[in-house]
Amino acid sequence: MTTHLLPRTFSLFSLLVAVSIGRTAEPAPFPKEAQAFLAKHCLACHGEKVQKAAVAFHTYRDEAVLLKDRKLWQRTLAVLASGEMPPPARKQPVPAETAAFTRAVTAVFERADRNAKPDPGRVTVRRLNRTEYNNTIRDLVGVDFQPAEDFPSDDVGHGFDNIGDVLTLSPVLMERYLAAAESVMARAITVDPPKPPQRHLSAMYTEPAAANVPLRNGYRVVTNKAGGSHVETGPIHTSYQVPAEGEYRFRCRVYAEGDGPVPVSILACGKTLPRPASDDAIGKLSGQSVTGLKPFVLVATVDVKARTAKDAQTIEVTVPANLGLTRMAVAMHRPSAGGKPATLFLQSLALEGPLDTRPLSQLKLLACAPGKTRAEQTREVMERFASRAYRRPATRDEVDRLVALVERTTARGERWEAAVQLAMQAVLVSPKFLFRVELDDRPQEPKPHPIDDYQLASRLSYFLWSSMPDQELFDLAAKRQLAAQAPAQVRRMLRDPRAKALVDNFAMQWLQLRRLRTHAADPQLFPRFNEHLRTAMLRETELFFGEIVREDRSALDLIDGKYTYLNGHLARHYGIRDTAGNSHGERKPRPGGQPIGEEFVRVALPDGGPRGGLLTQASVLTVTSNPTRTSPVKRGRWVLEQLLGTPPPPPPPNVPELAEGAKAQLTGTLRQRMEQHRLNPACASCHAKMDALGFAFENFDAVGAWRTTDGTFPIDPSGTLPGGRSFKGPAELKAILREQKDLFARCLTEKLLTYALGRGLEYYDRPAVDAIVATLANNDYRFSVLATEIATSMPFRMRRGKDQTE
Amino acid sequence: MIPLVSRRTVLRGLGAAVALPWLEIMGPVASWAAAGNGIARAPNRLAVLYVPNGKNMADWTPTREGAGFALTPILEPLRPVQDELLVLTNLTADKARPHGDGGGDHARALAAFLTGAQPRKTDGTDIRAGVSVDQVAAARLADQTRLPSLEIGCEHGAMAGNCDSGYSCVYSSTMSWRSATQPLPKEVNPKLVFERLFGGDRDASRSRRDQTRQSILDFVRDDSLDLSRKLGATDRRKLDEYFSSLRDLELRIARAAKLPPVQAPAGLKVTGIPSAYQDHVRLMCDLMVLAFQADITRVCTFVLANEGSNRPYREINVPEGHHDLSHHGNDPSKKAKIRDINRFHVSQLAYLLTKLKAIREGDGTLLDHCMIAYGSGNSDGNAHNHEELPILVAGRGCGTLKTGRHVKFPKETPLTNLWVSLLDRMRVQVDRLGDSTGALTGLGG
Repeated sequence: MTTHLLPRTFSLFSLLVAVSIGRTAEPAPFPKEAQAFLAKHCLACHGEKVQKAAVAFHTYRDEAVLLKDRKLWQRTLAVLASGEMPPPARKQPVPAETAAFTRAVTAVFERADRNAKPDPGRVTVRRLNRTEYNNTIRDLVGVDFQPAEDFPSDDVGHGFDNIGDVLTLSPVLMERYLAAAESVMARAITVDPPKPPQRHLSAMYTEPAAANVPLRNGYRVVTNKAGGSHVETGPIHTSYQVPAEGEYRFRCRVYAEGDGPVPVSILACGKTLPRPASDDAIGKLSGQSVTGLKPFVLVATVDVKARTAKDAQTIEVTVPANLGLTRMAVAMHRPSAGGKPATLFLQSLALEGPLDTRPLSQLKLLACAPGKTRAEQTREVMERFASRAYRRPATRDEVDRLVALVERTTARGERWEAAVQLAMQAVLVSPKFLFRVELDDRPQEPKPHPIDDYQLASRLSYFLWSSMPDQELFDLAAKRQLAAQAPAQVRRMLRDPRAKALVDNFAMQWLQLRRLRTHAADPQLFPRFNEHLRTAMLRETELFFGEIVREDRSALDLIDGKYTYLNGHLARHYGIRDTAGNSHGERKPRPGGQPIGEEFVRVALPDGGPRGGLLTQASVLTVTSNPTRTSPVKRGRWVLEQLLGTPPPPPPPNVPELAEGAKAQLTGTLRQRMEQHRLNPACASCHAKMDALGFAFENFDAVGAWRTTDGTFPIDPSGTLPGGRSFKGPAELKAILREQKDLFARCLTEKLLTYALGRGLEYYDRPAVDAIVATLANNDYRFSVLATEIATSMPFRMRRGKDQTE
Repeated sequence: MIPLVSRRTVLRGLGAAVALPWLEIMGPVASWAAAGNGIARAPNRLAVLYVPNGKNMADWTPTREGAGFALTPILEPLRPVQDELLVLTNLTADKARPHGDGGGDHARALAAFLTGAQPRKTDGTDIRAGVSVDQVAAARLADQTRLPSLEIGCEHGAMAGNCDSGYSCVYSSTMSWRSATQPLPKEVNPKLVFERLFGGDRDASRSRRDQTRQSILDFVRDDSLDLSRKLGATDRRKLDEYFSSLRDLELRIARAAKLPPVQAPAGLKVTGIPSAYQDHVRLMCDLMVLAFQADITRVCTFVLANEGSNRPYREINVPEGHHDLSHHGNDPSKKAKIRDINRFHVSQLAYLLTKLKAIREGDGTLLDHCMIAYGSGNSDGNAHNHEELPILVAGRGCGTLKTGRHVKFPKETPLTNLWVSLLDRMRVQVDRLGDSTGALTGLGG
């Protein structure tokens, strides 16, 4: 009995659930008010009788039908917001009416989205953009010279230049890829290494050159005789500046006079000696001055047997690598107890090397386990390179083909190095390298499933570093442990210097600061704006954002953080005197301030002062200005769009002229002129908000310097936002903005997620964004939490199943 | 007999605003002439130059129709080549209009200009416009020249953000579309354009390099054949871009082996982007002239500034941004500055036309064998309207155009009808291009 009961109860239960779900899933009617709006303003042209543009609004009676036509409704709301519909000849809805209708329609979709089945979306295969190409080549090949400099610029979509759908590949770019692969590999591998450089030095140019080391027939005369008329001369030496690490060969030509063989030691001084000579060993060497050469290593000790200049002998020793070589010396030993002093005659010194003139990249790329045949070496080298270049293990077939290419090339008579070079060029123009291909390992799986660990490694590395994964990520991927360790890896990666890419590429694009590079402030009006100031402006924001990433600060600091980074140039521009943020002529300066020199330093900003946060940085203030004047509209729009994620709709098409002819010219202060502008109801609703936000920053001129008048008009930075909140100036406005932290956090999350995924966000990403924003709020908006949450979010980790593909 | 002057001496003047007919003395570098049998006829070339933000139309449009029209203030710099002009009034880029897509007239103006297609409103997902007229010509003429086409400009694609009301920046910075989904980025660095025209090396080492490249391309194609099959539709389209670019390059290598050698003008050194905008524009013009004269390509598009560009023109005392000014609100002083910018651009066109006219070719001048279209996809920058566009065509198109006239068409005549007519003159017949309704009548007189 009981064995039957359980399944039965279970099925009954499931039935109940099904019924109750069925009941709640009964399509909710489209709200009456919304239907009334349609009837009043739309149905005449898009209803039962007339269906212009094949739009029939009368068919949308319940939510289920609405949800099927998401695109149409998005467009409907857009044309309504822009004022394009209803057409001008028709009666226009009042703003409140439109707003209520918009809310009703939006609510239908939002409700549905929150309860929808999970959908990780589709990421289009991404071509490496210029930055990613440069960085990937640097990390893959080990040559860092910006080979993508000559590539056509990458197009921007959704605010970023790493969006798969927008990154195209033209014939011009293909040609540049070939040329870049050629020059990259030419630098990385030298097929015919040049001869090692030689440095020959006659004895007369050696040190020391004092009277007690006479020169006779071109030979330095050195003695180890203590006291008396001769003083011990000590070692003969000379300094070297060597271009690269590696083994060197040292030679000197000598003969000696004394009883029996005369022992001579060769010393090498360096900055990075692994095992300097011990005091014991040094004690055996002749001359007080030998201690002055410390630290050094004893490279070799050789007996000099030649007795005349005619049969002088050459001492030749190999100097080991990695000493940080700075100086070579030749030293005599003290006479053995009771032994007679000896004299050494030294004609010349010579240093050759580094003996291996192949570049470091070549040694790394061509490194092989010892004892392999050529064929095995080819396979090892090509497999390693292709696996790193494709960012996943190269398949057997792929390696076979590459090995065959190398062998075909050597069969034509090319050197092995040249053949490998050619095969590596081929890898660098392969779509498997140029694109981030994410093949589905389970294409038949109907439901969303995780991308594989290698794909995850690349998503992480290109997100945080704009480059390929490093060995640690590859190793974890190989062990299939990366997904589990993703949060720890994200934190490690954020601390890595390569995370600067997140500032350069994400932050600079999000804040639209790349435009500052070509911004042309009028030199007559703003003589202080020059290349130094432009660079300093960008640098300030980079360092400020960099601290938030590196030190894991609250993202809210971006709004009003009371610290920044300045150099002397920018500090003067801001009127700031020292690192405590004191301004010139401060009555009661805060203590502890250091003067600001040419290097960038961290500066604390006082609470009551005008600066703090992105909005009062010269970079943002300048890039949102016109060449000759500030633009409160652009500044206001920047706040709404970049910080709050609530961009105003585009201006309605064909904005009517204010009035006829020149009489309608706008006059007065900029604010008065803008107010006249806002008399036009078509402009008012959006400009009321944009302008109020923008005018709060009017105390900062078009290059971000402080001012109290605009021409002859005094500045009034106060304002009132729609909804009645008023503020006296930028500080109060920033406080209001900080209260909008949910909006700000959502905006930042959406931008960073867009950048991380390389695609625009869709309605089905809403649950992921909601979850990230909630976690962020519970963790003081710390930046690492944001990055980690994105890296572990469904759209980042998962791919669509078979049933979801479009 | 053409006097022998050292090329080195003469060509050094390239781009340095030197008014020398220096190209004339380079002799028969053109492959059509070198390959000919004595009766070869010069081929027809097509170039389109684009300027943004519309025009001050009152100062652009001539009042009288027909021959002997009076030049307007903006067209005044073209006086020396007035006989070579066809000013065309009443052409419309209908697909630059919103048609329910709201704002974004700048983005649409450029994207629809040569395509006659409504650009899809997207900030990045699934960008789409249409094939542009230059690429239609390029595809048909590809086997006759080294380069199917040349796309040049003076401003990079926008550096950040959504460029115009929800349209990806690609729309407002790209005129040439190889397919509806593949915009062709323009080259703005004169040095790179020069290298593209003439290659970096001498012919001998180039052919060896081409062989190596061919072996790499062979390998890569074979190695990635299976890749496309495993990808979804959108990904496959991206890979197709790759493979078609690869094929393009192979064809180019094959053609280079077949066509008579093109000699890079000796001693000519083209460096990076000149700091003065006018020098930059003129250097690009010089390169276009060189490409046409040497018959390296017969199709070129040149975007003088991106749509919506806010570049100031201090060289003519206009420190304000162009786009900012174009919303002139009927302020006469702003309108005057817009006119000045328009005239400045037109004087660059005059430079190009004068150069082309100074070069003797076959039975006439190089300009006789060109069709140089010039204009904007916006009419009045303040109103963002796309009818009555400012358009002119210069050059006689191998005798197919009767120039020296101002022609008015019926209102709302599609701009694409002009493109169809010009294609026809390059022996490229198409039934339709975008929203075209037929060929224009009256261009040949």
